[in-house]
This record gives sequence, structure tokens and C-alpha cells, in this order.
Amino acid sequence: MVKTVFDDIKNTLKGVEISETSYDERGYHLAIESQKANIINIVEFFDGKGFYLEDLCCVDYKDYLELVYFFNNHKELCRVKVALKVESDKPAAPTISRIYTIANWYEREIHEFFGVYFENHTNLTYLFLHDEIDCYPLRKDRVPVTEDDRRLLNSFKPEEYEDGFFINLGPQHPSTHGVLRVVVKMDGEYIVSAEPVLGYLHRMHEKMAENRSYLQFLPNPPRMDYLGALNYNLGHVTTVEKLCSITVPERAQYIRTITAELNRISSHLLWVGAFVADLGGLTPFLYTFQDREHILDILEGIAGSRLTYCYFRFGGLYNDVDDAFIDATKQFIKHLRGRFGMYEKLVTKNVIFINRVKGIGILEQDKVPKYGCSGPVIRSTGIPFDIRKTEPYAAYDRIGFEIPTGTIGDNLDRYMIRIREMEISLNIIEEAIEKLPSGPFKAEKVPKKLKPPKGDIYHTVESPRGELGVYIVSDETDTPYRMRWRVPSYSNLMTFPYLAKGELISDAIATLGSYDLVIPEIDR
Amino acid sequence: MMNEIIQIVGKETVRVVIGLIGVLILVVVNALMLTWLERKISGHIQRRIGPKEVGPFGLIQPIADGLKLLGKEILTPSNVDKPLYFLAPVLIFIPVLVSFIVIPFDVCLQVKDINVGILVILAFSSLSVLSILLAGWGSNNKYSLIGALRSVAQNIAYEIPLLLSILPVIFMTNSLSLKDIVEVQREGWFIWKWQFFAFLIYFIAGVAETNRTPFDLPEAESELVAGFHTEYSGMRFALFFLAEYTNIMIISAVATVFFLGGYLGPFLPGFVWFFIKTYLLVAVIMWFRWTFPRVRFDQLLNFSWKILIPAAFINLIVTGGLLKL
Amino acid sequence: MTVIVEIIKGAISLISGMCVTTKAFFAPVVTVQYPRQTVNISPRFRGHTKLVADEERPDRTKCIVCGMCERNCPSGSIKKVEGEKLEGEKKKTATVYILNYTTCSQCGLCVETCPADALAFSADYNVTSYKKEDFYYDLIKEFDKRKKA
Repeated sequence: MVKTVFDDIKNTLKGVEISETSYDERGYHLAIESQKANIINIVEFFDGKGFYLEDLCCVDYKDYLELVYFFNNHKELCRVKVALKVESDKPAAPTISRIYTIANWYEREIHEFFGVYFENHTNLTYLFLHDEIDCYPLRKDRVPVTEDDRRLLNSFKPEEYEDGFFINLGPQHPSTHGVLRVVVKMDGEYIVSAEPVLGYLHRMHEKMAENRSYLQFLPNPPRMDYLGALNYNLGHVTTVEKLCSITVPERAQYIRTITAELNRISSHLLWVGAFVADLGGLTPFLYTFQDREHILDILEGIAGSRLTYCYFRFGGLYNDVDDAFIDATKQFIKHLRGRFGMYEKLVTKNVIFINRVKGIGILEQDKVPKYGCSGPVIRSTGIPFDIRKTEPYAAYDRIGFEIPTGTIGDNLDRYMIRIREMEISLNIIEEAIEKLPSGPFKAEKVPKKLKPPKGDIYHTVESPRGELGVYIVSDETDTPYRMRWRVPSYSNLMTFPYLAKGELISDAIATLGSYDLVIPEIDR
Repeated sequence: MMNEIIQIVGKETVRVVIGLIGVLILVVVNALMLTWLERKISGHIQRRIGPKEVGPFGLIQPIADGLKLLGKEILTPSNVDKPLYFLAPVLIFIPVLVSFIVIPFDVCLQVKDINVGILVILAFSSLSVLSILLAGWGSNNKYSLIGALRSVAQNIAYEIPLLLSILPVIFMTNSLSLKDIVEVQREGWFIWKWQFFAFLIYFIAGVAETNRTPFDLPEAESELVAGFHTEYSGMRFALFFLAEYTNIMIISAVATVFFLGGYLGPFLPGFVWFFIKTYLLVAVIMWFRWTFPRVRFDQLLNFSWKILIPAAFINLIVTGGLLKL
Repeated sequence: MTVIVEIIKGAISLISGMCVTTKAFFAPVVTVQYPRQTVNISPRFRGHTKLVADEERPDRTKCIVCGMCERNCPSGSIKKVEGEKLEGEKKKTATVYILNYTTCSQCGLCVETCPADALAFSADYNVTSYKKEDFYYDLIKEFDKRKKA
């Protein structure tokens, strides 16, 4: 695939500088340097080939700003980095939101954080920030916001609509999603349009990363997604290890796999409870929390915390696991396997539940590349895309497991996939415990002050919500020059305005619940 | 002194007045106890203990809750339609009080045996729909309005199966008076005499009438804040809440009288049997709430118009045919 | 005909759901009646940090006042580490160690990077107070309190 794409670009697009890079060092296969004149052609080329836009971010190199586009393919791994340099004084670039719908929000974010103006963009208003911020936060120097820009950023006015009325879902939501506000235009009981409003929990993690060393940033990723905290920790740690070429001992890899899968199960258990509570059945919530308490107790025994774990370190783990952990995990596996039958009788086979979720929120397979969805959302449409299989990390390439897929992409498919994923995770944990080798739990000779070599790297991890990507640009000091987190709920939430159109509000809420959103990771 | 009063007004009036006072006390105590029962049942279903600190087994908890609600500030939003807003919570309590007058707790424990008893109950339960509409409209809030409209549509749709499922029993009794219906069941309860499906239809329609899960869309917490009683706080909210629980009691009481034999039963006195059967049905209704998710609004109306009403009609026709034979 | 079959299947699913909740109704309670009953805290629980006593001289802590923990803390929670060099000693001993627990995120970097292994996690999980100032722990004073007890 990489060779064919390389040859195709060389043949079809003239004058494009393309080079092959080492995937093991950089995390991407091809690097393209583009100009403003041919960026649209390049993006249309990738759209024609069925690639999806994985990430769009911006890095401030003081003399110029660089827009970085990452493209990837669901069928076969081929990651392409497209870099576009724009000038740092009044930067402007053409928009690609007509080709890829998800770019709409990425470009809004870059506009309010860096000040890059995207021509022909329909809606360059505030996404995370608000009016009282008077400079572009992620720039290295202090660049004030111009008056024109401020007027443009403030132009979101939802009150002016005559034919129907507005309802605000949130930000204080009775369903346990977090602080998400959706402004819904309604015509009677049907939704005309739904527009999520974000930024209620924005804490500037990406700016914090530039002021702290790699080691000091370790507590931050678990706070971004507190339900899948170990997977975020894992993403951060494996990216930096790849950048510095640190090898992790086998025992640590297996323990990382076991704990990450335990975390995945606990996140899915909470989602099952919250999803059925959204629909009105308040009891399964308590039952899943009871099962989840076992996992929290097990992980407290080794990591010390119950929710926001800071357990992995560069080169291995903070401390080793003991026999009590292994015994408790084996007991938990037996216990949870016996509970699935109960959940099936109480929820899955319940006729009221099936009528609420079957055939609702159908996402078609050909819409998926436009949004860059990942996780159970994409697997429900029938595409078997899982980072643990396409780009294995930790011990996943030595453990056999299958990927569950759905058929039509409705809410019921997403529910069944998550239940099935829990069963598969139990199998993975069992196999990993059997294969657990003895040995050191941390690599020796990891320097206390990590100074990675110059360059950038992109690495992905499968969090319970989907594909989590970490992009680090390092300049040989012990703090990152730029750290960018590509979060899965962001691109999954973008499909909500499309799916909610024309639905009843009860259905829209069920669909929103089936995405398994965690808003702090969207807002970072 | 008692004899003088009886001489002035007559024995019957004194009996009715004592009965009314008894019914009032019963309604209030019952509503409080039902909140306690609901919290205990929901607690044990969810593998936890319900209230346990206030009094033994938390029995004084409802009184503590009542005191808290009494002490709350009664807010009136500024743009409400004042007469409607103030009238709605009061109006919702009138049907429940009137309905208790005709229910027979025992052979001689009925406030007044009106000979069109069941018609009184059905007519006054339609009045509660009116009060919900007043609450929703008078609150000047779009969430309340949507909740109230949904509730009205739901109540109207489910009153028809309610009535249709009671009609076969009335056919078999030839009387509308509740006491006669219980007396006829001395030869066998109606639930064993071919009216099992009527009992099911009545029960489901009754759950929908009182806006309980799985039909509690008007009060759906995760969708519309709190439905038609969003703008009510303090004691006014308590009145809506208590009226809902008393409605559950009335539905169960009517089901007991019509299908389960009322106060008939061996060994124990009549009213003990009556309360056992009624509270059993109340516990089943609460059990439904903590097991099932909510039905969507159009599915709710479909269920009533397309499934329950044809089933009730068929039941009626079959009963009529059987009576003729 | 299929409508009736659907209705019967639906009714059976509802009844089996009710059986599940009935079983749960009669099952024992899983909650812990805190504070009348308490749970066991695992030994690796991360409460606030505490200073560890030196084995040879149990009346003093192991801290050598190098300041590594203060520099490495991501939130800047360790406010002041001061010490003095006593007569005949090679390294300093700590006299003041102020920790602002309100910004601590229990990441464990201070415990890990201490070259003298002087810090450890305590198991205090139910610390409460009405004032923010009560959480500005002086770890030396806490160590002295533990020494007396």
C-alpha cells in the first residue's frame, strides 16, 4: 500500500515533494511538503483513495507556522503526514472542510488557538475559548487578537430563529456524560439541527505540556479521560519511549496489557450502566458499579489510586505486581463471566430496551472516512478497525483475540460490540496472566532527565472510546516543543449533528449516549 | 353530646363525616408510607439499604422529608399565569379524595355506597388530567408545556383501555356499585372467572395513567428536566408527588375490588385482606419502575391504540358471548 | 399471528427481567455502612506523603534536603524544604518540609526521585477540615507526632 500510494502521488500530482520515512522512528510512512496552491489537490487525492483525516494540528516554529495533516487508511495501515507552512504574521490557509467534514472543527480549533485564518470556512467561531482571552494561547510569543478576528469569533448567535424553538441540552446534564451543551433547534418533537457547544472543561493540557518535562507531565493524561486513564498513560509513555528508543522489558509489557484491559472493562461497565440509565432503567447502573468496584479494588492494590492512575513510567512500571493481584484478577474473571447472563436477561433481551435502540442512529459505512470515527462507532458499521491489531503495542501482538463488528451501525450494534469487547478483554487478560514472564519490571539506565533526539513522532493507542493519537515535536530539551492529543470522542461527536437531524429528542439522547463520550477528553 | 348531634343531623351524616375524616387521615398516612416503601424496595433491588438512620428501619424518614419540604422557600417565577399556577396542585388532590369515598374497605367500612360508584372514580380521574394541563401551561416554561402535552395525550389514550377492561366485570355483575361487585365475588374472584386478560390490560393501563415507569415520559429526568412540575418547589411539589402515590393506591384498590375479591378472604378480618392485596399490587408497580427502561412516546401511543384497545374489545366481545351462552 | 407471537415473546422477556430484580432483592447488601463499618485500605494506597525514619537514628528522617522532590513536582506542591548541617554529619538534616496537599495529584514522582528514599505514601484517607490552611502539612511535625505515639 505504501509503495502504491508513493508511486501514485509521484505520477498524478506533479511538483509535490514526497519522501519515505522510517515508520519505527517516526510513526508515519510518508511525508509530503505541500504549498497553499496544491494542498487541496493533495487532500482530494487522499479522499479519492478512501483515506480518512486522522488529525489536523498546528505547530508554531516562531518564523513560520506549520499545519500538519495526518491521513490514514482503515483497510491497511499507511500513515501520511502532509505539512503546510504558513507565514506567522497574519497566517491564512485554504479550508478542507468541504472535503472532510471533521476538518470543520479542527480548523476552528486552530483558528482560535493560533490565529490561522481559513478561507471559505463557514463557521470560524469560538470552540473552546471565550471572549475574555485576548491573545492566541498556543503561540510561543504573545500575539494579540485583532478586532476583526474577535468579531468573527463571536458571531455564534443561536437565538435568531423564527420557525421553531431552541432547547439547551445541558451543560448540567442528568445523564452522566460530563459538561456537554447541545443547542437543539426543534420543530415540535423533531430536531431540525443540533449543535454541540464545547469548552466548559478546557484546562489547556497542551500548553501545560510545553512547560513541564516529560516526566512531570505524567499525571495529566489520566485527568483528560478519567475512565480510560491507564490507556492514556500508556499512550504518553509508549510515544516517548519510541522517540527515545527505550526498550521495555517483557514482564512490564504483559502487565501493561493486563492493566489496560482491566481499565477497558471498567470503562465499558460504567458505560453500560449510564446508557441504560439514560433510557430510564435505573437499576443496571448500580449492578455495573458493583462489578466495577472489584476492578477498582484490584487496581488500587498495585497502583494506589482508584480512578486516575499514574502507574506507568518510561521504561516500565512504577512498582511490580504481587501474587495477590494475580489471584484477585483470576477470581474477578470468574465472577464477571457469571454476571453476563444476568445482564443479558435484564437488559439485552428486554423488549422495551430493544425497541428503544434498534434501528436508531444508523451510521452508514461510506460516511465514516469523512468523520474519522474510531472505536466501537466504526466497528458497528462493519469495518474491523482496531489499533491493537493494525499497530500493535505492549503485548498485543503476542496474544490472539478477535475484533467484534456490527452490521448496520445502529445503537444496538454499538451496545452489543461493547458487551462482546468485555468478554474478549477477559480472554486477553487470562492469556496474558498465563504467559506472564518473570524478570525486571523497569528498564535500566533510563536517564532521570529525558532529552529525546530532535524530530517528531506520531503514535496511536486504542482507548475504550477509539483511536487515541499522540503527536510530539521535540527540540532536544527536556520539555516537549509541542504535544498534541488526538482524542477519539472529538471525531465521534462530530457525527452527532448528522445523525440527530430529523429524529425525536428521545432518540437523539439515546444516540448521544451510545457514543460513550467523555467530555474532559474533548475539551482537554 | 353525641346523641344530641345525632338527633340534630341524623345518624347517616355523622357516619359520613367520621368516614371522611378517616379517609383524609388514610390518604395522608398512606402517601407518606408509600414513599418509604418505594425507597426501601428500590434500595434492596439495587443491593443497598434504603433509609435507615431516621427511626427504626427509616420509618420516620417520610416525616423528615415532609418537614424539609415545608421549610423550603416557595418560589413563584415572575411570568407565570397566577390563577392557573396556584390552582394546579390543589386541583390534583381533589379527585383522589373523592375516589376514596366509594371504595369498600370492609363490609361496613365504606364512606358512602353510591350506586354508580365506578363512574365516580373514572370521572374524577379525568379531572387530574386537567390539573396537569393547568400546571404545564401556567408555568410559562417550554419544558413544562412539552411535558404537560405528553401527559395529556398519554392519559387520554390509556383511559379507554382502562374503561374497556372494567366493562366485562360490570356485565357479569349487572351493577355499577363497588360493594355489589365485591359481594358477587363470594362465589369466586373474577380473575379466575375468565377475566385474567382483563386484569392484565387494566393493570398496564393503570400504570400508564399514573405516569409510572415504563410509561413515565412526562417526568423523564434525563430528557426534559422534570416535565410539568419543573417550576414547582417546596410544598407545591410535594402535593404533586403525594398525589401521584395516592393515584397508585387508587388504581391498585380498584383492581383489588374488581378482580381480586376486595375484602373477601378466610380467617383474617376483611380490611386486613383488602390492604394486603392492595399493597401487593402497589409493590408490583414499584417493582416495574426499578426494572424497566422507558418507552418512547410514539411507541407508547402505538401500544395503547393498536394493541391494548383491540385486545380489550376482543375481551369484551368474548365475555358478552360467554354470558349469552 | 406474528403480532401475538411478538407480544408473547416480549412479555416473557419482561418477566425474566423481573426475576433478575427479584433475585437481587433477596440477595445480601453490598454497601458498607460507613462510618459505622470501615474498609481495609490496601498497603499501596496513595494518601499524602510522609517522611520515613532513618534506620540507624530513628529520631531523625532520611531527608538530606537536596530539593529534588521540590524541583520535580509537576504542581509545585512542595513549598519549602530547609535543613541544617549538624555537627559531625556529612549531609544536611531536614527541619522544615511544607507540603501543600490541596494541589498534590498523588503522582508519586517525589517518592520515586528522592535519592535517599525518604518519602513514602501514608494511608490517611479521611482527612477533613473546614479551612484550607489545615492542608499545608509540615511533614517534619507529622513525623515528630508519630515518633511520640
